[in-house]
Amino acid sequence: MMIDLVIFLPAIAAIALLCIPRDAQRALRGVALIGALATFVLSLGFITGGFGNEFDQRIPWISGTWTAAYHVHVGGLSVYFVLLTTLVSVAAIWGAFSYSDAGKLRGFLALLLLFETTLLGLFTAADLLLFYVYWDLMLIPVFLLLVGYSGSAEARSAAWSYLLYNGAGGLVLLLGVVGVVLHTGTFEVLGQTYSFGTLENWLFAAFALAFLIKTPSFPFHAWMPPTYTNSPPPLVAMVSGVQSKAGLFGFLVFALPLFPVAAHTWAPVLLVLAVASIVYGAFAALGQRDMKTLVAFSSLSHLGLVVLALFAFDLTSVPGSIVMIVSHGLISAALFLLLGFVEERTGSREIGAFGGLAAHAPRLQALMLVAAMAALGLPGLSGFAGEFLILIGAWQTQPVYTAISLIAIVVASAYVLKMFQAAMHGPESVPGGRTYGDLRAREIWILAPLIAGIFLFGIWPGVLLPGGGSLTGATPAHTVALHGQRPHA
Amino acid sequence: MIQSVAIDWNVIAPVVVLVATGLLVLVVDLLSRSAPRQLLYGIGIVGSLAAFAAMLPLRGQELTTFGGAFASDSFSWPFDVLLLLTLTISLALSCLGKAEDGANPGAYAALLIFCTIGGLILAGATTLIGIFLGLEELSLALYVLAGTGYPRRSSQEAALKYVLLGSLASGFLIFGMALLYGSAGSISLAAMSHAAYAGGPLFIGGFALFLVGVAFKLALAPFHLWTPDVYEGSPLAVTAFMAVAVKAAMFAVLARFAYVVFGHDASALVPLWILAILSMIVGNVGAIRQTNLKRLLAFSGIAQAGYLVLALAGVGRGGVATLVFYLAAYAFMNLGAFAVIALIGNGDELHADLSAYRGLAFRRPMVAALMMLFFLSLAGIPATAGFIGKVLLLGQAMGAGPWGVAMAVALIVGTLVSFYVYFQVIWQMFAPADAEAVASDGNAAVSWVAVAAGAVGVLLLGIVPQLLLAHL
Repeated sequence: MMIDLVIFLPAIAAIALLCIPRDAQRALRGVALIGALATFVLSLGFITGGFGNEFDQRIPWISGTWTAAYHVHVGGLSVYFVLLTTLVSVAAIWGAFSYSDAGKLRGFLALLLLFETTLLGLFTAADLLLFYVYWDLMLIPVFLLLVGYSGSAEARSAAWSYLLYNGAGGLVLLLGVVGVVLHTGTFEVLGQTYSFGTLENWLFAAFALAFLIKTPSFPFHAWMPPTYTNSPPPLVAMVSGVQSKAGLFGFLVFALPLFPVAAHTWAPVLLVLAVASIVYGAFAALGQRDMKTLVAFSSLSHLGLVVLALFAFDLTSVPGSIVMIVSHGLISAALFLLLGFVEERTGSREIGAFGGLAAHAPRLQALMLVAAMAALGLPGLSGFAGEFLILIGAWQTQPVYTAISLIAIVVASAYVLKMFQAAMHGPESVPGGRTYGDLRAREIWILAPLIAGIFLFGIWPGVLLPGGGSLTGATPAHTVALHGQRPHA
Repeated sequence: MIQSVAIDWNVIAPVVVLVATGLLVLVVDLLSRSAPRQLLYGIGIVGSLAAFAAMLPLRGQELTTFGGAFASDSFSWPFDVLLLLTLTISLALSCLGKAEDGANPGAYAALLIFCTIGGLILAGATTLIGIFLGLEELSLALYVLAGTGYPRRSSQEAALKYVLLGSLASGFLIFGMALLYGSAGSISLAAMSHAAYAGGPLFIGGFALFLVGVAFKLALAPFHLWTPDVYEGSPLAVTAFMAVAVKAAMFAVLARFAYVVFGHDASALVPLWILAILSMIVGNVGAIRQTNLKRLLAFSGIAQAGYLVLALAGVGRGGVATLVFYLAAYAFMNLGAFAVIALIGNGDELHADLSAYRGLAFRRPMVAALMMLFFLSLAGIPATAGFIGKVLLLGQAMGAGPWGVAMAVALIVGTLVSFYVYFQVIWQMFAPADAEAVASDGNAAVSWVAVAAGAVGVLLLGIVPQLLLAHL
């Protein structure tokens, strides 16, 4: 019941929004924000008494030649993803207040809330068919937001690359999902072991392709730069901060436990793609002039590290990937929202088109500094914790790939500093001589939880590590790494 | 010597009710030339519901009459329900102010009803003669209905094209039947299975021609060329009927033929699998550039017919259940989409144009949301009937050997292409309107009923599919 409430509260808020007149701005904002906040507060219940609590609910759904259940589960790994979603959603929905013309605010907020529900559904699904349902449903709110609520022709065409790439991934996944059920007879495959025989390689390939497109990973990332660049900041904060983790969640919870043998067989391919993403993403980011595109490519690079961590199959790197996932979610959401605030003030996000904002916007500069430093991996901030654990761990099993990946860490400093300096330092210049103010209280509050998270997990990453920071205890993530099985605990 | 045939009236009760309704409509129309068309269509709707009531006691029974030539069994029952549903919705949409009926509502309603009778006969036919009888009853009435958009030229063109190509198809079909009869020595499908077992050129030739005829009617590629023009030209309510009822009836025939004749060995059905793969490609690719929703749905129908064939893959267990489920999904989503087109334009043909939907989401959010629901279902997005249907189809096909897997892959590829098609409509609804939009403020209650029926069906089958699956 608790899980259902968390999943569907945003959707209920969305429906409530649609019952409110379009021009009742205050009511719309209030309902949306309360919906998102209440979801976040409720989701905190999953960690009362510590991580490792189990919440589970199961209702039979379809039975026939095969069976499926409405089976939701929070615990083990999913709790990190759920909390990340509810936290980033609050920031995104609050941030959305200023990104839509008044007539479209209602739809904008409702779609963001529906998007949150699909993400929460995905991260709590313990049934493969249910997982797939949300996997595909996720496309709809994002597509609609890009087409109807982003206000630019570029966004409307980016909607197509988003839809077709992710749709293609989804359909390949569907083949894999049906392939699994023909073998198992049930979609409730978690915690079970099956031997798929020669089919296993094909099934894993189908799952992996879908997950890599969603993350995205080189060479399946073509949809990402246009989508991230042209989305309104709240949307891209959710897509990059949360949705990009859907594929990684799929690997951790479904693909690796279900197909442990094939995962090892395919590991060399995935490692090469991961390293290609890490290096290519970093250099591509270095060459961008549009700050949003720059952050988009840095995302490609950072999430490549997570794929590297997963397929290094190491006891440190796999738990490290969880830290990295949460950290990247917070950092990229914060960065995209900050870039939104910058663009609101300067009317531009191009490197070189403006500069010296630090002079009149010290608070903006301070928060940007934290997010930027976290992105380049400054110790004490969460980005470092994730990267460090991953690199230490991956070094044990994959020294060559890890060494190559280190190049990207260096390049990351270059592109992050380039962006930060261009925006904040130097002589003050704003296109058209616009006047602008520093961050308002609302904007600071939007970012505060994200920034707080970045500090917290930088200083005390152990809170995120399964098993409370002990790297020796058997934890869900370890079991994935070692046995390729998801324990039910 | 002519023997009298015992007729079990219970078994053909639904048909009898519909015949009586059709005749009643004609008589009322004859007696009072000024009878409002709502009255005539109302009689039709009531008759359709009465026929449904007559079907209720037949549920779960395995009965035959006319010496075994006509069956009312658990196989035909769901198809009959779909046919009556389609008739009801089509008649309802015909009531709208701007709906075309050739200024002759009596004949129009009666023909729609006679079409449905043809469909019921097809679903219950167990002999070649029964199949042909039902098919002609269905087709002849539809040829006329396609032209009731007179004096619109495209409607006349549709009627002519349909009658010429349809007759050709009937020719193939009956010649194939003649050869099948020659090889089996009987007109009953059951006898045909022995002939299929023995093989031989006569049977193979007969089956090939039979399949061509059926493929014509189902609009399977490469026998689909008539479809877009006929769908576009026919009046909206007739197109809706054509899209759903003809497919339901013909799939009933095809499925019965496949299971009775090839139940022991499906290897002879390879040509059908090839037609399916072609249809999924041709239909989805052809739909890409369409700017008229009726044409778009025609191409979509070609592709969906291809999907439906997957249910028969390998003539495996559960195939009929899958077929019926996807047909029901198809009926709800198509009728729903046609009902929305009829709703916003009050039944006119103007609103079949894609440009009428530009910016609709901001002018009429509720209507746009419902239209989106139907197109999401056509695209197979989860939480809709189309999604569960596709999962069932894939499961059926992927367990049926290499040809099944090939069809499953074609379905996946076709579906990806279809994303571009169906989301184009959604895209238009959400993109800001650039010029002044076509007025789209139709709001007739009767079309809302049709839309709601479609939406409820799509959502229920999508979220709680067990409601239907448990009974198949």
